[in-house]
Amino acid sequence: MGSVLEFKNITKYFPGVKALEDICFRVESGEVLAFMGENGAGKSTLLKILNGDYQPTSGKYLIDGEERRFNNPSEAIEAGISVIYQERQILMDLTVAENIFLGRLPVKGVLRQINMKEAYRRTQEIIDDFGLEMRPDDMVKDLSIAYQQMVEIMKAYSRENLKLIAFDEPTASLSDSEIDSLFRIIKKLKAEGKMIIYVSHRMQEIQTITDKIAIFKDGSYMGTYGVHEITEEELIRKMVGRDLGDVYNSLDRNKEIGEVLLEVKNFKTDYTKEVSFQLRKGEVLGFSGLVGAGRTEVMRGIIGADRPLSGEVYLEGKKIVNRDPGDAEKNGIVMVPEDRKTQGILANLGVGENITIGSLHENSSGFGIINRTKEKEMAEKGIRDFKIKTPNAEKKIVELSGGNQQKAIVARWMGTNPKVVILDEPTKGIDIGAKSEFYNMICEFAKQGLGVILVSSELPEVIGLSDRIIVMKGREITGEVSREEANEEVLLSLAMMGGKENGTK
Amino acid sequence: MGQNKKGKKELKINGSMIVLLCALVIVVGVFTFLNKNFFSYTNLVNVFVAASLVGLVAIGETYLIIAGLNDLSPGSVAAFSGVLAAILTSNMGLNFGLSLIITVAVASLAGLFNAWMVSAIKLQPFIATLVTQAIFRGIAYIICGGKPVAVTNETFINLGKARIGGNSGIPITVILLIIAFLIFGFILSRTRFGRSIYAIGGNVNAARLAGLKPGKIIVISYLLMSCLCALGGTILAARMNSGQPAACVNLEFDAITAVILGGVSFNGGIGNMMGTFLGVILIQAFNTGLTMVQVPTFWQYVARGLLLLAALTIDYVRKTNREKKLLQDSMKNL
Repeated sequence: MGSVLEFKNITKYFPGVKALEDICFRVESGEVLAFMGENGAGKSTLLKILNGDYQPTSGKYLIDGEERRFNNPSEAIEAGISVIYQERQILMDLTVAENIFLGRLPVKGVLRQINMKEAYRRTQEIIDDFGLEMRPDDMVKDLSIAYQQMVEIMKAYSRENLKLIAFDEPTASLSDSEIDSLFRIIKKLKAEGKMIIYVSHRMQEIQTITDKIAIFKDGSYMGTYGVHEITEEELIRKMVGRDLGDVYNSLDRNKEIGEVLLEVKNFKTDYTKEVSFQLRKGEVLGFSGLVGAGRTEVMRGIIGADRPLSGEVYLEGKKIVNRDPGDAEKNGIVMVPEDRKTQGILANLGVGENITIGSLHENSSGFGIINRTKEKEMAEKGIRDFKIKTPNAEKKIVELSGGNQQKAIVARWMGTNPKVVILDEPTKGIDIGAKSEFYNMICEFAKQGLGVILVSSELPEVIGLSDRIIVMKGREITGEVSREEANEEVLLSLAMMGGKENGTK
Repeated sequence: MGQNKKGKKELKINGSMIVLLCALVIVVGVFTFLNKNFFSYTNLVNVFVAASLVGLVAIGETYLIIAGLNDLSPGSVAAFSGVLAAILTSNMGLNFGLSLIITVAVASLAGLFNAWMVSAIKLQPFIATLVTQAIFRGIAYIICGGKPVAVTNETFINLGKARIGGNSGIPITVILLIIAFLIFGFILSRTRFGRSIYAIGGNVNAARLAGLKPGKIIVISYLLMSCLCALGGTILAARMNSGQPAACVNLEFDAITAVILGGVSFNGGIGNMMGTFLGVILIQAFNTGLTMVQVPTFWQYVARGLLLLAALTIDYVRKTNREKKLLQDSMKNL
């Protein structure tokens, strides 16, 4: 009666990225299996393969010993596999009952009208079962985030054949008491013999709720351990595969921080509250916070990608206005965006053209005719300086690995001789080797007297590189920490609870 | 190693050109077999003359489609321009040069309007330019009261008739077409503006973050398109000796077919002017051939539809192959 899910030698490639290699793991009925690994270790890709969003390049997965293949999420749901993502996958404008029974609402009579009464009755049963305070006819948009998540879990639970439910960082936006009730539900599911996969970064939660931990690193499987068989230190060593301290300690950091270079005063866009901060010459200023805290949005406002509503930006004491990223570039502020694929690379163009696209004006005559010799020199210099691994400048950028694509985007901007470089999650989804190259690069920029803003969700990275760290929460700045005071607890508490005066709201 | 890869790349471009040339040879061969007059100097010149209108519009569509846009209004704008130029010269007695300038200026309002709808109010190009298509067809009928306007100005008439090198020489319209292809091909491949078109067609968000101004590029592309339509419409009026409000129906259809046949990806970002040139000649040879072998008009529509379907199929196959090759290459690199 118990079910088993097994992944056998699952491999997944994307153009330019090896996302997963030879992944094996196993989970059984009544078991909570944690997935642990750094950002970019492949956990999300694995979940997407699990629920049919992605197809594996090779390998197979078995449910109760039978090989299965899902072409899309609905096939996976039919087979009893549901994934609860961080982003809600429910319809905000429908009621709880409609969401739970979407696509399979009970019907009655010859005309097969929808039987809402029956739907409400069955929804109420589940709600009571879960012990929650909501009504079947509540609109989902009126519920708290925690309850919206519950609706999703109930939706999965309402299927009689539910075998496995996977949670992707389910507690990221929950309060302590909400986490408690989530855990209560998970225990209930477990007692009913469901398989549960739990993806999280939070050690304490993993120890409370899970039985086993599957560890992933850079797309590879590092083994499964009983939760009490492995110490935290061992776990981190397996996830990281190196002593992080060494990487950061060996960096040749800039020691001469100069005068104020960039000053942002009471700056506000549609997507942020008012923020003010300063950046000095030769300084690496970290921006920390949870995903969605508004860090990217502040940066987008500064470079003019989003329209500023109020406030001022001063560069070297002079007021500047960036109406679009082109203005910002002329003023000497450039940004390497967070999502390389949708905001960074021009997939249809070559590596060289991707580098020189930021300097079209410098490389062309008054009539706009491109000087191809000059352009070629710049492309080749970028490839050389940033050690981009490519056979030639004509190669399409999408054919390179993620790290090399990212280097090309950095080369694009450094070719414009900027004064301020904003790097938004520069090491997201790139491998460890390339990461340390980026760290050296960042220190080098600071030494050249540039102001560097480093937006990063990886705490060790932001702590290891920054001279000063600004923490954001809820689209505003909640604190500022110097390099000496910075540690993970301080940053996390500012990111999750806000400033000391604010407390929890 | 690097050299080797580069050589392979050039070969690939030639490969796609060779497919087009083969298709052209087959079309010419089949029609010559069915009617031996097809492969005569006079007829081939006629093909090029007929291609001058589609060709000018296809140049504009090449820019727009590479930029990730498109335009369904050229037929109407060209017809409107032909009528307007005829009215300005015949009814109002203006000289041809001035009339042409006014015509181009008025027609560019269509381009501005298209660009405004697409970039400012974010309408889909397909729907936005359909609006312009209807409006300008209507205005074309309104300004002439529904009746064709005869062209009486001599310079104007000569535009359609004159040849360089005597009576059997090369028509001016053909020379104009070739010059237009050379100039616009150069702009596309060698200038800042051309590069920007590829960039916004590849990824408009990334292009904006890279400092380009997509709005400006969209406006210029649509403006160029409407100017090309004005020029094409005027040439057609010269050839027919009259400005006809009902002219050029389905012009955009032929132009878009030619562009896709020529290897421009309908998804944007990919293609070049040489491909479009071959595509234009191919589709015009096809259309002229169908008429010469007396395929009934109604069936010609069906044949054109099938040709567009073939072009889209080739575009789709090219795209899937590109993606497959990309995945394989990147796996090799890892």
